[in-house]
Amino acid sequence: MTPLAGASPQALAGESDLSRAVDEAAECTALQPLQGNLFEIRFRAPEVARRAQPGQFAQIWVEQSHIPLLRRPFSFSRAQPREGVVSFYIGAVGEGSRRLRRFSPGDSARILGPLGRGFTLPNRPGRSVLVSGGLGAAPFPLLGERLLERGEQVVWVNGARTQSELYPGELIPNGMAELVQFTEDGSQGRRGRVTAGLLPSLKGADRIYACGPNQMLAALFALISESAFEEGGAPQLEVSIEAPMGCGFGTCLGCAIPLRPGAGGEGPVVGLCCRQGPVLRGSLLDWERLLQQPEHLG
Amino acid sequence: MSTTTPPFDPRVDLGRGLVLANPIGVASGTFGFGFEAEALVGITHLGAIFSKGTTAVAREGNHPPRIAETAAGMLNSIGLQNPGVEVVARDYAARWAQWPVPVLVNVAGADISEYVAIVQHLDGVSGVSGVELNISCPNIAHGLDFATEPGAAARCVAAVRAVTTLPLVVKLSPNVTDIAEVARAVADAGADAVSAVNTYLGMKMALHARRPVLPGLGVGGLSGPAIKPLALAAVAKVRRAVGIPVIGIGGIATTTDALEFLVAGADAVQVGTANFNNPQASREIVEGCLAYAEQHHLQRFTDLRWQEQDHPGSREPSLDVD
Repeated sequence: MTPLAGASPQALAGESDLSRAVDEAAECTALQPLQGNLFEIRFRAPEVARRAQPGQFAQIWVEQSHIPLLRRPFSFSRAQPREGVVSFYIGAVGEGSRRLRRFSPGDSARILGPLGRGFTLPNRPGRSVLVSGGLGAAPFPLLGERLLERGEQVVWVNGARTQSELYPGELIPNGMAELVQFTEDGSQGRRGRVTAGLLPSLKGADRIYACGPNQMLAALFALISESAFEEGGAPQLEVSIEAPMGCGFGTCLGCAIPLRPGAGGEGPVVGLCCRQGPVLRGSLLDWERLLQQPEHLG
Repeated sequence: MSTTTPPFDPRVDLGRGLVLANPIGVASGTFGFGFEAEALVGITHLGAIFSKGTTAVAREGNHPPRIAETAAGMLNSIGLQNPGVEVVARDYAARWAQWPVPVLVNVAGADISEYVAIVQHLDGVSGVSGVELNISCPNIAHGLDFATEPGAAARCVAAVRAVTTLPLVVKLSPNVTDIAEVARAVADAGADAVSAVNTYLGMKMALHARRPVLPGLGVGGLSGPAIKPLALAAVAKVRRAVGIPVIGIGGIATTTDALEFLVAGADAVQVGTANFNNPQASREIVEGCLAYAEQHHLQRFTDLRWQEQDHPGSREPSLDVD
């Protein structure tokens, strides 16, 4: 058995800060149906809105009943502290998300958050490239806004299999230096995968933030690792990954993710998406083992 | 200062000097080692914390996916991910020693000698208030062997009893022919208390893929409100079988659930899966039970216990459901 440092009290220092999370009674203020099974839902949850950072997530208790039993994790798509509102970009694909899709203004849910580690925001303005695939666009409206507020130059490369799965351009924050859209079938924007046409957009990037299917993220990590960058080396890559989640705060151990052993072979090799993630530096993940994980079927 | 008898005493005596401030604990595997979610949930309200299953050496746990949701329940196949008893006894216990709440370490071994070695490692360690022998984990090879055969369960408990004076709780599996028989065997072998029940073996199928959702054989442990009626029946049966304290577990999500287990004969309870969807569940249940006791003028929580002798014939049902 591989030695495991695990969640020791010492190791917790590197994990998400649960002391910032609150479990707030939230009221739905709007639900905007989008194309296909996609929608954006807004909740009034002032405490969560005040604390949420880009890349962090909330656990939504859709109905306080036994079915569905578990909360559903969603990245914050927007957080407006002044209005006390948070938004989530969701595809109605399972029991919890389908029920959320049927919400109307005035309906209530409990929102636990913010949870997890978010994206690292730059101390000094530079050039950021956001790379998203499908529902992976979810955290980027908030990240984009917060980067732009800091005077960052922001490029968003957004892809999906087809137009009906693509994050709508009209919802993307104003002020992007560049917005490049890809669909694999060419139904909107350029034809192909984001990773195939990405390199030109990475020119001059100081940092890359990515969220999407594991395959896409692994391809992106390989692309950046293998590409020759000019002076200053490769841009820093942070990825937001997904794992089937039970609690969202580190006790059920359901959302295990494979991490690369630290230098010298020591250190944790199994992490938790909810505490060490969902945002991690690309170099921390064991991509090979991550891709070997079977798809969660339900 | 005059002494008066308090009108209500919420404490629970599990034996060997282990007295819980109230009957509400958190179940092994649903609260980590206590500190993971401490910032979110707090611990001071709890009667006891039952730690994540601890093994002789560190375990990485099973390959994902490890959990699958079912109707009013969830399946898990975590595979006892834990840092091993050395880290637990050295690093974690030091922290527990500062806490006002007793922590019982849930212990899982591959054979009797491993159970003995782990408990020896924990014996006398400041911060370890007791052990809960997990003779019933469904997610490791051989994990169920000790639980299913009363003789083997008794030998394991007796061997552990011989090397420790720590309070010894034995966690029973419901995946057995007769849980009462196992309960009697471990009580006779020296257990101070039993906890019942661990998860039920279950599966979830993905029709579209024509295979189970969980990896390997596709089997996991079912927990959550779905198992509450099954667990209540098991607790009532164990209560009839043994005289030692019984800790009820299985789908407890509300104050009413917890009180129902006390009616069934439990002396204490553990809140498990509910900790995942409602981190404040244990706090709400502690407060709710204390409020109920006050409203109903209880002296002790055992006042709630179902007195079967009031119902002649209840021991001899016409349909034998054992």
